[in-house]
Amino acid sequence: MKKLIIITALACLPLKAVLAADYSIDPGHTYVSFAINHLGFSTMRGKFDRQSGSMQFDPAAKKASVMIEIDATSIDTGHDKRDAHLQSPDFLNAVENPTITFKSTAVTWNGDKLASVTGDLTILGVSKPVTLTVVAMKCATHPFNKKDTCGFDATGSIKRSDYGVNYGLPAIGEVLDLQIEVEASK
Amino acid sequence: MEQLLSRPEIQSAVVPFLIALVVYLGLQKLTATAWLWALLAAFLGSAALINGLTLTPLTGTRKIILLIIASFFTATLLPWVMPNRNLQRRFTTIASQIALLWVFWAVLTRMDSAAMVLFLVGTISLVLVLEWSFVRVAEQPAQLHGAGVSLLLGVGLSTTVAASALLGQLALALAAASGGAFLGWVLIGNARGQTASQPVTVIPYVLAPALLGVAAVIFARLPWYALVPLALIPFAVSLVPQKTESRFLHALLSSLPGLVIAIAVALFVWQSSDSASGY
Repeated sequence: MKKLIIITALACLPLKAVLAADYSIDPGHTYVSFAINHLGFSTMRGKFDRQSGSMQFDPAAKKASVMIEIDATSIDTGHDKRDAHLQSPDFLNAVENPTITFKSTAVTWNGDKLASVTGDLTILGVSKPVTLTVVAMKCATHPFNKKDTCGFDATGSIKRSDYGVNYGLPAIGEVLDLQIEVEASK
Repeated sequence: MEQLLSRPEIQSAVVPFLIALVVYLGLQKLTATAWLWALLAAFLGSAALINGLTLTPLTGTRKIILLIIASFFTATLLPWVMPNRNLQRRFTTIASQIALLWVFWAVLTRMDSAAMVLFLVGTISLVLVLEWSFVRVAEQPAQLHGAGVSLLLGVGLSTTVAASALLGQLALALAAASGGAFLGWVLIGNARGQTASQPVTVIPYVLAPALLGVAAVIFARLPWYALVPLALIPFAVSLVPQKTESRFLHALLSSLPGLVIAIAVALFVWQSSDSASGY
């Protein structure tokens, strides 16, 4: 009986190690937003309302990865007609390409915290590398649900023409400034 | 020059109109299908300006551009290979339906069964109505081009106001090209005789509006019922009596019914989509 308990405990160790590193993204506290110049007059801001994904985070082993899937049909700029236009073939073609994905390929560290995350951002079926700078990060036990939680804020920028989103250039800005806030727990 | 060529009105109206007119005037003494080559050259020029002619990634819009280009080659070359008129008609119908399935396959596979059936019934009906009514006017150049210009204008305007300028521009470019070739015919006729006497030569006029119209319904927000009156434009044009010798009057009379329907549908779509608010 003792042997069985020891064997079971040993068998669970690697499983525990995997489970400990896997965080599920909290869609209610994860935001992907963007800003873009509108005709030179002002900055237009928008966000996506639905995203999901997972994160692996092991500062001791200096290993981390992030995978986020964004529902392109959830784009929200506060104007229904503009949102419909952004989902049309002129921009995101959301019916044909409903999901925007970010899959990390490399990270850099600042002590126990992430300094940057580089990954492949896929829009309209085109994947390009993007580096996000992590400006804030915290991992701790959540005070209310008592789960191990990690969260970070990151910024970056992309050129939409790199992904074939050329409508309205150069009048509507080419560069999108990204702001991403992620919370994930296990 | 680059700034000028990036303007939508230049890309979708001036360039295709001028290219089609010049090519038609240049070729009408050489071939009865001068209008097909004129429209092909004009569409190639416009599509290159509007969206570029790259094929990767192969989006639905790029598939549509490719298929429209292929339809012009098919219309010109197929009569040599398939002289039987009944076979040509069947080919037009089947090829158009296969084209629609290819463009919208990724979306179809995500639909539930009821939506898929509706899509298939709707698109088959659209293709059959367009094919049947364009074949009625295939041997009357004024009616053929009057219907083509009006139908493409209607699809282009409705699509533009329903939230996709890209699809709208492609349709309007074809409408302008058809207008250019039409003007060429009005000015000098066609030295080689009939501009279209084989049913398959109408395939561009069947396929282009079907692809762009259905794309506007699926990918943008054009209401599906806007396509119903537009699909009846060629039939409406076929009812215009052919009693005048003047090409100009013939062109005018053949264009009017279609233009009225096209503009009415575009206005209706504009009103119902609250486009006036802008953003």
